[in-house]
Amino acid sequence: MVKEQIKPMTSRERVLAGLRREPVDRTPVCNPTSVATVELMDLVDAHFPEANRNPEMMARLAATGYTEIGFDSIMPVFSIIQESSALGCKMQWEQKDNWPTVRMREPIWRDVEDVVIPNDFLTHPDTACVIECIKILKKEYGDDVAIIGKTMGPWTLGYHCFGVEPFLLMSLDDPGKTKLALERMKEATIQFGMAQIEAGADALTVPDHATGDLVSGEYYDRYLKDMHAEFVDLLPVPLILHICGRTVDRMNSIAETGIAAFHFDSKNKPQESMDIIEDRISLVGNINNPETLYAKGPDAVRDEVCANLDAGVHMVGPECAIPLQTAIENLTAIPNAVKEWHSRRESH
Amino acid sequence: MADLQDISNEKIRQEIEEFVENPDEIERNIETFARVRPLMQEIAAALIEGDDGTVDALTKQALEDKIDALEIMDDGLIAAMGVVGIKFRDNYIFVPEVLACARAMKAGMAYIEPILSASGVEPLATVIMGMVKGDLHDIGKNLCIMMLRGSGFNVVDLGVDTSDDEFIDAVEEHSAPILGMSALLTTTMPNMGKTIEAFIDADMRDDVKIMVGGAPVTQEFADDMGADAYGKDALECVAVAKGFLSVQA
Repeated sequence: MVKEQIKPMTSRERVLAGLRREPVDRTPVCNPTSVATVELMDLVDAHFPEANRNPEMMARLAATGYTEIGFDSIMPVFSIIQESSALGCKMQWEQKDNWPTVRMREPIWRDVEDVVIPNDFLTHPDTACVIECIKILKKEYGDDVAIIGKTMGPWTLGYHCFGVEPFLLMSLDDPGKTKLALERMKEATIQFGMAQIEAGADALTVPDHATGDLVSGEYYDRYLKDMHAEFVDLLPVPLILHICGRTVDRMNSIAETGIAAFHFDSKNKPQESMDIIEDRISLVGNINNPETLYAKGPDAVRDEVCANLDAGVHMVGPECAIPLQTAIENLTAIPNAVKEWHSRRESH
Repeated sequence: MADLQDISNEKIRQEIEEFVENPDEIERNIETFARVRPLMQEIAAALIEGDDGTVDALTKQALEDKIDALEIMDDGLIAAMGVVGIKFRDNYIFVPEVLACARAMKAGMAYIEPILSASGVEPLATVIMGMVKGDLHDIGKNLCIMMLRGSGFNVVDLGVDTSDDEFIDAVEEHSAPILGMSALLTTTMPNMGKTIEAFIDADMRDDVKIMVGGAPVTQEFADDMGADAYGKDALECVAVAKGFLSVQA
């Protein structure tokens, strides 16, 4: 919601107001998933894979989202694997030009009885790195910029720890067992989320990939809706749910969870999505990554930004973690387009 | 021309009525199931339900009844997978349900494959499939492989994180006319282009048709990378592969 006569805000104030659907001086620009690119890594000498495992490098690379790109938030968790590594998953850390990945073909759990959150979960180097990084960022940028943490939801942890196919088959064969596994895995989500809040995170992204490309909207209701509502009660900062792919068939349920915001994919039209959520939550998104940010130029980016602003999307940014080869000029085009759009509106 | 009522199995009739919307596909499925014997319809119905236990038992029974293995595969298992593919494409079912159907297909094929191998039945063609370098997300590729095998192709699965050399060696070793590459990550998508360039460098590009797919991949991207075709889902993957051979999908 943008109102005239709002005094200039800091980036932090802008994002937090956007998450609460309160008036803002201009639409906040943020990416609740990842802003890391190879160009940015070179710029601050903080490369993958080390920047996923070293808190100083992680902070340095994450800060470029604000210092170089002009976004209103800083998101230091570039991947979706920090918790899974701490849970004991086998990892492929990759090189500078690819995200680290869990070797899901070598799952660590086969049955619900195997689901155990280790005692050292929060002191494992790959979770501790994030916590330490947030402390660094909070100290350096916390007054001005919204520091967003990330804690993976239990559905995604299920893919990582059981393997995608075994987990999805379990969800069909034995819903009771699946719910029990999710209940146990959610402890990891809560523990890691709380640790990041204590370290200074202003908000948390909760990626939980119950995407329409894999499972039905009915699955979201059956397995995740209540759990996501529970996270709202248990994690005392605004939560941003992230689910890739087609999600319009579950957006109403997501809006009913009470979550602060939903980070939505370009497979969902901005206006259609806004109509579904009916001012119950904020929407963040949804500039297309592979076709627009990665493959096209600033003009195409600008068009998509304007489509979101015209629809009233509360916070604008890429739909998901930015492709690592994305050009910086395409990323700076996002805040530039937002500012231009507001200038045009004011001049009318 | 056959009519829906010519299909004796009620479950199959319901499936076609409820989930198949395209007139050509309705006609094709009615023609198929109306001509096959009731036991094949039962196998198909069980597969569409994802009931691997029943598919296992009925396939075994059909072989004991001296029904030809090829008939069981074509009229029971593959015919059913056609319906599964349509339901998945049109969002009536999702990946968990397809995985259950694939499991049922596998239960039937466990009896059929050894018989076909021993009898020397020729596959349509050999297809090399793999995730591109750096990509470990293989569920889409696995669905494609299941559908390709179910449609009569011999598939060599190179798995995940496949290097240019591994693709090239596999095409050479198996004299495969078709290569399929998949990527889920925007970071790994460009590796499709690199692999295609490697085939050009190896002077093998004209020897193989290359199809690509994966959630972030588009027709435009496939064209830019120099692929011969793009398939947006497992059903299209089969159609593309058959198209390469000029076989009706």
